[in-house]
Amino acid sequence: MKRTILALAATVLALSACSTKAGDSGSSGADSSGVKTGKGVTATEITLGVMTDKSGVFKNLGLGVTQGNELWAKDFNAAGGVCGRQVKLEEVDHGYKADTAKTLYPQLEPKVLGFVQMLGSPITAALKGNILSDKVVTTPASWSSELLDNPYIMIVGTTYDLEIIDGLSYLQSQGAIKDGDTIGHVYIDGEYGKNGLRGSQFYAKKHNLTVKEIKITSTDSDLTNVVTGLKGSGVKAIALTTTPTQTGSVVAADKALGLNVPVLGNNPTFDPQLLKSPAAGALDKLTVVASSVPFSADLPKAKDVATKYKAAYKEAPTAGTPYGYAVGEVWGQVLKKACDNKDLTRDGLAAALKQTTSANTDNLVATLDFSRQGTPATRQVYAATPDASAEGGVRYVKPLFEAPEAKEYVAPHQQG
Amino acid sequence: MNTFLQLVVNGLGKGAVFALLALGFVVIFKATEVVNFAHGSLVLFGGYLVVVTRDALGWAGASWVGILSAGLLGLLLERFLLSRPRHADANALALLTIGVDVIVTEEIVRRLGDSLPFIGEAWDAKPFQLGGITLFRTHLVALGVAAVLITAFWLAFKFSNWGIAMRAQAENREAAALMGIRSSRVTATAWLVAGLLAGVAVLFIATQDFSGAGLSRGTHSIALAAFPAAILGGLDSTAGAVVGGLVVGLVDALSAQYISFDFSKSAVFLVMLVVLVIRPSGLFGTRERTRV
Amino acid sequence: MSEGVASKQVVEAPPEAPAAPRGRRSPAKLLRALGWTALLVVLLALPLYLDAAWLKAGQYMMIGAVGAIGLTLLVGQAGQLSLAHAFFLLAGGTAYSVLSGPTDDTRVIGLGIDPALSLIGAVVITALLGLAFAPVSGRLRGIYLGVASLALVFLGLYFGQSAEKLTGGTSTGRAPTPFSLFGFPFSNEGPHIEILGVPIQQAERTWYLFLLLTVLAFVIARGAVKGRIGRSWRAVRDNEAAAAVMGVSVIRAKAGAFAVSSAYAGLAGAMTVLWFDILKPDESEYGTYGINVSIAFLAMIIIGGLGSVSGALVGALIVNGLPQVLSLYSTDLGWFTGTGGGALTPILVSSFVYGAAIILVVLFEPGGLAAIGRRISRRNGRIPEEQGT
Repeated sequence: MKRTILALAATVLALSACSTKAGDSGSSGADSSGVKTGKGVTATEITLGVMTDKSGVFKNLGLGVTQGNELWAKDFNAAGGVCGRQVKLEEVDHGYKADTAKTLYPQLEPKVLGFVQMLGSPITAALKGNILSDKVVTTPASWSSELLDNPYIMIVGTTYDLEIIDGLSYLQSQGAIKDGDTIGHVYIDGEYGKNGLRGSQFYAKKHNLTVKEIKITSTDSDLTNVVTGLKGSGVKAIALTTTPTQTGSVVAADKALGLNVPVLGNNPTFDPQLLKSPAAGALDKLTVVASSVPFSADLPKAKDVATKYKAAYKEAPTAGTPYGYAVGEVWGQVLKKACDNKDLTRDGLAAALKQTTSANTDNLVATLDFSRQGTPATRQVYAATPDASAEGGVRYVKPLFEAPEAKEYVAPHQQG
Repeated sequence: MNTFLQLVVNGLGKGAVFALLALGFVVIFKATEVVNFAHGSLVLFGGYLVVVTRDALGWAGASWVGILSAGLLGLLLERFLLSRPRHADANALALLTIGVDVIVTEEIVRRLGDSLPFIGEAWDAKPFQLGGITLFRTHLVALGVAAVLITAFWLAFKFSNWGIAMRAQAENREAAALMGIRSSRVTATAWLVAGLLAGVAVLFIATQDFSGAGLSRGTHSIALAAFPAAILGGLDSTAGAVVGGLVVGLVDALSAQYISFDFSKSAVFLVMLVVLVIRPSGLFGTRERTRV
Repeated sequence: MSEGVASKQVVEAPPEAPAAPRGRRSPAKLLRALGWTALLVVLLALPLYLDAAWLKAGQYMMIGAVGAIGLTLLVGQAGQLSLAHAFFLLAGGTAYSVLSGPTDDTRVIGLGIDPALSLIGAVVITALLGLAFAPVSGRLRGIYLGVASLALVFLGLYFGQSAEKLTGGTSTGRAPTPFSLFGFPFSNEGPHIEILGVPIQQAERTWYLFLLLTVLAFVIARGAVKGRIGRSWRAVRDNEAAAAVMGVSVIRAKAGAFAVSSAYAGLAGAMTVLWFDILKPDESEYGTYGINVSIAFLAMIIIGGLGSVSGALVGALIVNGLPQVLSLYSTDLGWFTGTGGGALTPILVSSFVYGAAIILVVLFEPGGLAAIGRRISRRNGRIPEEQGT
């Protein structure tokens, strides 16, 4: 005990000898060419944050998107960067755990101008308040329109609700469903699922459909009983806002139980791994709608990204990579605009974002308009189907389109 | 009506596997009074060994390796960890199994990484129809295997030396020891057997038909459902384990449809709670009586 | 065990024992008090030196401490195994959010009560919930009780998902009202305060708040352990039949233990939502309020020593602190930066550490770190006070 006391006393003395953390950590000012700078920006570098999942349940997606971000950064810097500065990515892994993210955030935030990736709706939800108070422009790897009440959230692509609306419209145009039918919608209780459901509810009202809503959680994996119930209700199609594993279970049950109806999924519902699982034989019934292009798309830009990816990384490619690259492209354009406005502070970035009415990604994603807060930046999607012979596992069956119903849809935080 | 029948079929099929898991639990408890929180790890370990040996030995060979490895792990846990502490309080040992569970599960999940291997090739995703009802081959094989194993156990408990020794030990440890029953042998065999059962169960769990997912952390969560199954039936009753397993499977399937899907997971535990409050030792367990 | 030896020593009036009259503090007690005071001073001074990230990590450890203290009282002192701690955490966090939430929010219910009162209210509500579990805890014993309590966690999962008007649902959750005491906000707003030139903002203020709550929790628990209620718990733990004979109402003792433990968990739950700035119930059994959390708390008290309040503190430091500290270090030093499958991450390493710690404790020192601590002090010639363990 005596020794412990001495140790503690020594600590107290030592602490009083050390300097406290008093003293400013400010960093603002203007540089020589009159461009205002703030956190995350030095004379030679702009640092962007990546909060991703490298070890948790979405590590595949996280890895793909991060690699897409990295490929973009390399190209962007090779082309000269912006305002004479190079982009640097600062990556942290939260393992899809909100509490780890919450601890890592205050460490990362002072170093970055914005977040080019923040993966996970629990993480984004937990940090929503921080994003607002710290005014950091953030691109969450989540396409929920619920997030759009925050002016700093930059969603690159179409939101889940609109994906479903476009998708159902596509199915109807193919004759799979008609007015008055019953459809099922299996959704994960979360920002992801609820948002997708909103879309099917809207579409159902327009076309007099009955929607059998089945709420599940992200870790449920056997949905045979669910499909059994849907079969009993006589559904003509099943919409999914689920994880890839759950998609596998639904399509497999769809076939095994003899239901054999078309299945529509939001963009995160598919992963190439499904093609190697026992559910592979049932995947022909699945249509995936996404606003970012499949890895195997034969668009020039997509092919370019694919080649660069294969040269740089050895993991099996997913649709996360062209998306991550597209996000980078958009960031590049917003940064350039902020540079033109001579304001590379956080406020400057937010203002530049609002001024971006047509961000172009060479069709990796549709053209994006960020000027109206609360409104999704685009309402177009690709429709794709799983294909084992295509790299990345899907090939598209319908290029970028927007359903007429999508135009009328009012997103939750849409103003006017 | 069709829907109801299909759900019952689904439920019983899964129930057979839960029964296997619960049986392993109960065997350990009968022999040692220890609740094995590491049962999920035994399941995962067996499955993992199947995954790593499958390329070299083919599915059939790998399956046997998996089963035997799970049994071996059970045995090793008993020999090297559980029999060690001199003051072997059953509750403390149960806590120890929690520690084991954390380590083994995390390590296996780490090794599995992104892969999600399905290990029930022989019977997975090969359903067939019988009068409008779909029968999943995985469930049928599981029912068959469970029936055989459970009958074998019942016979063993009734008539074999080991079975009698175990029942004696469960009833009165000291008396059994005095009569020459080697407690350590009984206990070690119990853990071995539980491991073997877990190794068999995983071949049915990590399939498309049963869980929709391959070997992963989810497999461990499923093994957790064996708890209510064993508890329902009574932790020291092998018949109870079987009944408990089937009840769990049925409750799961029927509540998913007739109440709601998210309730179905809690439903099983709620039923367990209700049974426990009414009959604290489970449906078939021996009642403890304390007289002051 | 070591307790038997200690009590023997006390009974035999050891040579160095203070024959001093009552009222005069023995040197042992004085040095002990000095030790705790020094620790307190260090803890009070830390916000002047540590960054917000480290302060947040420390706050998370304090949350663990409060919860662990409650659990060790239940499991260690009263001998009731419970895996339901996570459920009461959720209940506490929800109660705080509902009580203090704005009354005009259309999505979720709020009662607009002052945050400090809401905190007290949350603790009371969770205590009542713990009491409500009494009929079950009365009828069940040992491991059966442990497994029954597991059911509560699953029920909590379902409750979080379905009672959306209260919890905000797993989709978006709800933001709790930032804590304030008599109008003084524990956030970046309000009066600008500086100590020695260091601005005292949200992270620092929350640190002090949590420190106060932890100290309160600690002191109350120690008081309970040493007092009559602790003795009745231990009597029930050691032999229910004998306790009944001695006149201890077994049912009351058990119910009381659950109520107290749940109250602590409720407080920890309210602290949790303040720490996250959000109440977001889980989607699965692995989350902020899942089984893994119940097991983590169990790990804390096993490592610390069942029944030891100071042990619970150390256990919380290890189990809750390790993943936080490792994550922070790894970002700084570049450790654990493996990507993809098979990577050794801080969370993984921490899990290994506390899993191994549980095994080692049960195998070699069932009294946990508390027993090790006692052995060390005895070796130094210090007579251990009559610890109520």
